Order: sequence, then structure tokens, then C-alpha cells
Amino acid sequence: MAVDYMEKLKLDEREVASRRAFFEITDEDLRRLASLRPLAERNSELFVERLYELIMGHQESRSFFPDEATLNRVKRLQRQYFLGLFDGRCDRAYVEERLRVGATHERVGLAPKFYIGAYGRYLRLLFDQMFQELSPAEAQAAFRSVSKMVMFDMALAIDTYIAANLDTVARHQAAIRELSTPVIRVYSRVLLLPLVGTVDSHRAHQIMETLLSRVVEEQARVVIVDIAGVAVVDTKVADHLLKTTEAVRLVGAATTVTGISAQVARTIVQLGVDISSMHTRARLGDGIELALAMVGKVVADKAG
Amino acid sequence: MRGSIPILKVASTLLVTLQTDLHDAMAEAFQQDLLSAIEREPVSGLLIDISGLYMVDSYVARILTETGKMARLMGTETVIVGMRPEVAATLVRMGYSFGAVRTALNVDEGLALLGVRVSQG
Amino acid sequence: MKIGGEDDVVLVRRMVREVAQARGFDPFATAAVTTAASELARNVWVHARGGSAVIEELADGNRMGLRLRFEDQGPGIANLDRARAGGNSTVHSLGLGLAGSRRLVESFDIQTKVGGGTTVTVTKWARF
Repeated sequence: MAVDYMEKLKLDEREVASRRAFFEITDEDLRRLASLRPLAERNSELFVERLYELIMGHQESRSFFPDEATLNRVKRLQRQYFLGLFDGRCDRAYVEERLRVGATHERVGLAPKFYIGAYGRYLRLLFDQMFQELSPAEAQAAFRSVSKMVMFDMALAIDTYIAANLDTVARHQAAIRELSTPVIRVYSRVLLLPLVGTVDSHRAHQIMETLLSRVVEEQARVVIVDIAGVAVVDTKVADHLLKTTEAVRLVGAATTVTGISAQVARTIVQLGVDISSMHTRARLGDGIELALAMVGKVVADKAG
Repeated sequence: MRGSIPILKVASTLLVTLQTDLHDAMAEAFQQDLLSAIEREPVSGLLIDISGLYMVDSYVARILTETGKMARLMGTETVIVGMRPEVAATLVRMGYSFGAVRTALNVDEGLALLGVRVSQG
Repeated sequence: MKIGGEDDVVLVRRMVREVAQARGFDPFATAAVTTAASELARNVWVHARGGSAVIEELADGNRMGLRLRFEDQGPGIANLDRARAGGNSTVHSLGLGLAGSRRLVESFDIQTKVGGGTTVTVTKWARF
């Protein structure tokens, strides 16, 4: 999963180097962080406990860790994550590691306010500890290096969070599109699209695209578009129908438009729209019969 | 450039498959080759498979429709098959009219379309 | 990208397609922007004998987009409205390309001066 985000966020060597430069992470910073690793290891368990004290002590964040098992697994990962800050490197491999470990938090669904708050606590805990164990000058320098690294990581976490959100939005949008253009397979190589409601140009585009995709996917020879449920049939709508019919023809299939009321028939003729290229029928049933005939089937009444 | 797009013969039909990228020069050469082939050996049908084209702009569309018209003058019916959904949508949105060129879903359907005409002839 | 010959039109087309796909454009949006690019790049070559194409990646909150700019130092378009409607036969193919491309993109801008070159800028956004 982390690998997907490496590509999505375009985290190639160049981008990582660019970020590193912007966050002003120097070789000296990296050396210093590596040298702080023993201190970090000594205190890691304590820090992680304190961190989760904060999270579990807060009602909203607590709900993300409903059971002991989840909490323990996350704590282990968190410790690994924390120590990673002191790896002493800031290259593509490092970023990949961060994303891999961070993926679990993402799956848990923690919002930015929580992990930014958590980072805040890390920094405070580290700060206190470093001032205890090191000289003031050393501690200050150490703190500067750690801050830079934490900010760098935070940017990655937020970018990943945004990318994951966009994915969800995209999936939802796709689902909505599917729902508003329900193409039904009524028979082998015969598709039916019952249109209901208003057809504006945005929707018309969606309809044409979905229909064309389905026709080619299923190699349908006939498409029946029923417009009985369309609220208003004006020049624009007629034009969209014509365009869609032509596109379906280009792909190699035929279109029959059904559900044409007397009112609509009057409107179309009076508007002067040329629909001579379209097959049309008043009733859906007739349209289906026509479609079946076109694919070589005959509908007959049962005798007796 | 000559002969870079292979022309196959199936019964009394010529079958041509256009792939991915059509340079302008290739398109013109293709039209030339095709018409020469029909002149050499008249056929009743021409099938152009464009399922490999990810894009058809007004230039390519023009070449295709022109080829169809030229072929018809020589007694050959043309059917274009395999147009991709996104290509059809784009052409229609551009307002480009394919006029009287016949289309079919795929090679089999295209042959059937041409075959029917032959037996009626 | 330089447009100095017929082959460059194909190169521009391929590049635009790659970038559009990388940007997450669906097949329909990709085909639309690639076709528009092909039309406009061809115009640059055929009518102005050379020019350039610039592909710019855009992002606007949730949406990803592409902006293409086609520039040439050619003769310019004398009667823009007629050309756009495809009226004059000598600029017929030009007009067809322009009018057609316009319908494929979200925004279309053209700056032209007789004898002073032409710049066409189009923007296409990906729908989710």
C-alpha cells in the first residue's frame, strides 16, 4: 500500500531531495540524529506509553483503539516509527519506510488533528529528556534537528492522508455516476437505458460515456433509450439524444428511442430537430420487440 | 512508407488493421496502398479495423471517410469496425460527422454486414 | 515541446496522453484532451510551419488538470469568427480543428494577430 503512495505523491529521488532541502535537513542534522539513537532507544517505551496516555485519555481518539490487541500492535509500530526518526538518513528508502509504517495509522482512520497533536507530545517529551541528559547547547541543537525531521514526517503523513481521501471521493463519485445511468441488459446484446429526471449537459455526457462503454464491453448490437421518465424534452435534450445515437452508431450498434409521448413528438417536430437517423417507438414494449428483431429474435404470443 | 500497413484479403473483402499511432504520412500512404490494391483486384468489401486507435482527430477521420467514398466509387463498400467508446464520444463532441460511412462492432460483424450485401447483389 | 515537423505532432499527442493518464484522467477525458492537442499541434505545423507546445500540470484542491499552450509565429488568423465557424474554405481545416477542439476542453483562449502569430491556450480538468 505504501508503494502506491510513493507513486501517487510522485516521491521519486528528485522530489525527496527537494523536500529535504526545503525542510533544511542537513548532513549534520542527520549525523546528530543518528548519534541520538541510544538516547531514543532508552526512552522509546516510556515515550510511546506517554503518547498513548494522551490518546487513550481523550474520548474521541480513544474510540479508534477499541481493543487491547489493536492498541498493542499500534504501540509496537509506533515505537518503530519513533526510532525511525533517528535513522540518520533522509532518502527515498527512508520515505518508503515511513509510508509503510504510517499505513497502519491510516487504516485505523486517525484524523490529522490527532497525529499532529501526538507529534506535539513527542517533541515535548523529547525536549524534556534531552535537556535532562545533554548539555543545554547540545540539547538545543538536538531539538532543532529532531524538529526538522518531525516536520518532514508530518508533511508525508498529511499528504498521504489527503491522497487517501481523494481516492475515497473518486470512488464515491464513480458510484454516483453508475447509479444515475442504470444500463440494463435485457437480452443478449440488447441494452436498455431508462432515463428519468432532468438531463442537463453534464448528465448527458455521463450518459453517453457510460452507454458507450457498456455497448463495447458487452458488444451490444442494440441500445434502447427510454425517455418516458424525462421531465423536459427540449432542443438541448433532443440534441444530446442525437449525439448519443450517433456515437453509438460509430461504435457499431443501433439505438431505438422509446417512450415518446404525443407531447414530445409534437415538440420535436415543431422544433425542427432532424431525428430521421433514429429508430423511435412510442412504447417501451414496442422498442424491445424491435430490438429483439434486430438481433434475430421474434416475440410471439403463446397460442390458446 | 509504402506497404507499412498490411492489407489482408478475406474472401472478397480487404481487411486492414490500424494500430496505435498514425503519422500523417502513414495515413496518406495507407489510403494510396488501399486504392491501388482495389484497382489491381476489385473487391466488394473493405473492412477497416480501428480498435487499435486510441485517438481519431479530424484529420484521421477525414482520411477514413474519404477512403470510404473513394472505395465506393470503385464499387467497394467500406465498413469501419472497433471504434473505441472514447474515440466515438470525442468525434461526436467535436461535431465531426462521419456521414454515410458504415460501422460495426467488430470484424465478425463487419464481415457479416458486407457478406449480406454481397449475397443480395 | 518544439513543433518543427509532422512527427512532432505525433510526439505532442503521445506526451499529452501520457501526462493525462498519469494525472488520473479517465479514458474519455484523455481522448478528448489528446485529440484537442493533436488538432492544435497540427494547426501549428500545417498553417504556421512551426511553433511550440507547452504542457502544464494543474491542481485545484480536489481536481487535477492540464493546461496546453500552442504558440506559433505564423500568419495569424485574419477572420477569427469565420475561422471558428469553419466558414472560409481556405481556413476550413483550421476552423474545424479550432471549433472542434473548443468543444473538447473546459476553457479555450485564442490570441492572434495578422502577421504576428497565434497562441491557443486550453485547459482540461479531470472529473472524478
